[in-house]
Amino acid sequence: MLKRICIIMLLCLLILFPFTKISSAKDSTNRNKTKHIKVPKIFNAKTHTLDNGLQIIVVENHRSPVVTHMIWYKVGAADEPQGQSGIAHFLEHLLFKGHEYKGLGSYEPGEFSKIVRKLGGEDNAFTSQDYTAYYQSVAKEHLEKMMTIEAARMRGLNVAEKDIASENKVIQEERRQRTDNNPGSLLLEQLKAALFTNHPYSIPVIGWMHEVKKLNKDQIMEFYDRYYAPNNAVLVISGDVIAQDVFDIAKRTYGILPSANTPKRKRTTSPPFIADTLITLHHENVKEPVYKRIYRVPSYRQNAGESLALEVLEEIMGGGSTSRLYKSLVIDKKLATNIGFSYQGAAWDDSILGISATPSSIDKIEELEQAISNELKKLIKEGITDEELSDSITRMQADAIYARDSLSGPAMIIGYNVITGSSLDDIENWSEYISHVSKDQIQAVAKKYLNPDMPYNHPPVTGLLLPKKLKTTKKGAE
Amino acid sequence: MRDKNYIKFLLIIFCLLPFSTFAKELQKPKFLDIQVVKDEKSNITAWLVEDHSIPVIAMSFSFRGAGAKNDPIDKQGLARLTSNTMDEGAGDLTSQEFQKTLRDMSISLSFSASRDNFSGALKTLSQNKEKAFELLKLALTKPRFDEEPVGRMRDSNKSRIKSSLSNPRWIAARIQNDRLFEGHPYAMNSGGTLSSLDKITSDDLRKFHKTLGKNQLVIGVAGDINAKELKKIINYIFSDLPDVKIKETKKYPLQNAGKTYIYKRDIPQSIIAMAQKGISRDSKDYYAATLMNFILGESGFGSRLMEEIREKRGLTYGIYSYFRRYDEADTLNVSTSTVNKNVKEMISLIYKEWDKMKSEPVSKEEINDAKSYIIGSLPLSLTSTDSIAGILLSLQLEHLPVDYLDMRAEKINSVTIDDILSVSKRILDKNSITTVIVGAPKGIKAEVITDIPNVE
Repeated sequence: MLKRICIIMLLCLLILFPFTKISSAKDSTNRNKTKHIKVPKIFNAKTHTLDNGLQIIVVENHRSPVVTHMIWYKVGAADEPQGQSGIAHFLEHLLFKGHEYKGLGSYEPGEFSKIVRKLGGEDNAFTSQDYTAYYQSVAKEHLEKMMTIEAARMRGLNVAEKDIASENKVIQEERRQRTDNNPGSLLLEQLKAALFTNHPYSIPVIGWMHEVKKLNKDQIMEFYDRYYAPNNAVLVISGDVIAQDVFDIAKRTYGILPSANTPKRKRTTSPPFIADTLITLHHENVKEPVYKRIYRVPSYRQNAGESLALEVLEEIMGGGSTSRLYKSLVIDKKLATNIGFSYQGAAWDDSILGISATPSSIDKIEELEQAISNELKKLIKEGITDEELSDSITRMQADAIYARDSLSGPAMIIGYNVITGSSLDDIENWSEYISHVSKDQIQAVAKKYLNPDMPYNHPPVTGLLLPKKLKTTKKGAE
Repeated sequence: MRDKNYIKFLLIIFCLLPFSTFAKELQKPKFLDIQVVKDEKSNITAWLVEDHSIPVIAMSFSFRGAGAKNDPIDKQGLARLTSNTMDEGAGDLTSQEFQKTLRDMSISLSFSASRDNFSGALKTLSQNKEKAFELLKLALTKPRFDEEPVGRMRDSNKSRIKSSLSNPRWIAARIQNDRLFEGHPYAMNSGGTLSSLDKITSDDLRKFHKTLGKNQLVIGVAGDINAKELKKIINYIFSDLPDVKIKETKKYPLQNAGKTYIYKRDIPQSIIAMAQKGISRDSKDYYAATLMNFILGESGFGSRLMEEIREKRGLTYGIYSYFRRYDEADTLNVSTSTVNKNVKEMISLIYKEWDKMKSEPVSKEEINDAKSYIIGSLPLSLTSTDSIAGILLSLQLEHLPVDYLDMRAEKINSVTIDDILSVSKRILDKNSITTVIVGAPKGIKAEVITDIPNVE
């Protein structure tokens, strides 16, 4: 297992053998020469690709006689035709409304979930900007059944108009519950709309209410036929199985489906902007202000090296009560009661880096913003310490061990990373890659993307959630 | 995401029955190989499931009866604030030193306070276990409650309360607890109020800490540790704690039965929270009630409420029924939400399901499906080290025997359709439901609540 003390020492003393897999993960100016250290693979996953293009990834885990079966489609809200926002998510709901495929069976609306439950299992699905995924967790002897039914709904959706109409109402209720009833969600929706101008990430996954109401069967089926195909999906299975057995079952089930002529993903890009954006929502149901700032930064697919550096930076700036921002703003300066700094590198296009704080009072907001900027400037000017780097890496590597302590967790992690463009090797060797991130790289990404004096070609968008009657005189982010 | 936020875990807890004296197990493979580890010197017992496949150890423990129900009315939130500050410095370690050691060694340690119990959870990699046990012992025996972290956690709690005021579900739950448990400590806000939190001092926390006794302890441990070592460890961590006087508990009847309350708020969707009397865990009907509730609304997709209200009519994104069990009260709840204009229809549809469950037997298919899920889903709740430790804790909190999981399937299978009908007739009573609505519903007759209780 990980010998953490050795790693810390080696990181400081030895020589780095660069990686071939992600060349950008190393830094040619790296002074922290480190030796190539053998860090165990995280999941030891096995993979195989069927003739029809379906990639299968299996994580064997024999702790409990259960298995998680997940199918990930490389299609999400950001792939929707213009004016049809919410269609990817609507389709996800409709996949539970009945399907049939020759050789794989015929299933009534709601039947798949009922079968899963009868077997003591769990099932659900979710949609993001870049992917849509469906999963079941069941006793291992039922895996083939799950694979058969899931394979059938990959190409055999058969949904009635009346079910589409009633599900549209359900989705409207879902939107009211998640977004319209919730001032914080309303603000975030608008912040993203501003941050991703001329890019589909500006549109919420659940869709705009006025467009969701109008979605029809033809549009939905066209979207389904175009994107739901074995060559546009990844199957991830974790649990008490033998990889070769899974590959064999996959061949008998998913293997009978033809591949489709799935269009290549095309996304619009945003022009460089120069103006700062501040979005303020005064809402009568808000009693506690919220300060938010979101930045556009690279995803892992776009720039693996910078993405890894941002992950370590997240740990240093935002990892709990001993992180830089919490110590400075919550403990020392008492400008906030809570603060977060988050980054998620698994996205096809730009990722979001977010800073979010609960100001200690409304009249402290400007001071809080200034203090956050000062922390960023300090980071850019002075960088981080050796200790911050090595401690963060150690903690992140420990998290990788904890990640194995779960049934569906590994399938989840592998799924969303692979479907957004990481290779399986990237995931397996993450602990090792992280250990090669240098102080210089971290300082460089901070300078490039978070510099308050010289914002990158997309300045961040700042949001304020405020009570109704109190007006702020603030003009904009600095 | 299709909403399905019921927790399978709860289902297992809902099926728990009291100690059964006649249980003589046949020789068959055990569901979980639970070892009962007792340290004779301190009289502390822990249940253990060894698993060396991953280098992780998880421990969950509760001080039974030491939860928020004991908070003085003017110091609501005392147990919660104590739980927030127990890991903020202990012995010679200041808050920052304590937290940094936890983080640097990737040890997760947290405390929490429910209405009934004061609990903690520890998770560590095997390689750091000595430090993890040492820090837990320090936190339990020598917490510092320094002014700075106490003030910080107080502010953070006040901020949480103010943020929650944007959340209509939170408001509905607050009003529901206030009305259902009127006159009982459960009606208080266990998270504290804006003014009560200001009244709690470090000395109050120190006083509260002295109420945690080793004779109230219940412990579940799972992972990379053996019984011999655990025996030493529980002695090391817990034996310095005092013994305390244990209070009797007795059931308190629900208040304000049959009333409807509304808190008006200009939001597009109303939140509906309903509750009536539930079933006690030592009732002979407990398993029948569990199956009834699963069919009624616990199971999400496939439940009667979900099928009638979401799947057939598209009136909501989610509707669930669930039992809540406290030491001193039992409730059966329904929670859902719908666009304002449909609230009235929604409530009448829920009543209709109450009537149907009481008047007609459930189908053979319904009972069989419910049984097979409740029995078959158990392994899925035992897939991580901390979830196993959590189950071991729950079993003991419910006073269940160590071989309970092996007997559980039989108990569930023995329930008949008639049992379900008879328990439905006995406990379901739509006229006794207390309903709380937050939103701007149309055509609802209700008592209007203008101030959310126990917030200011």
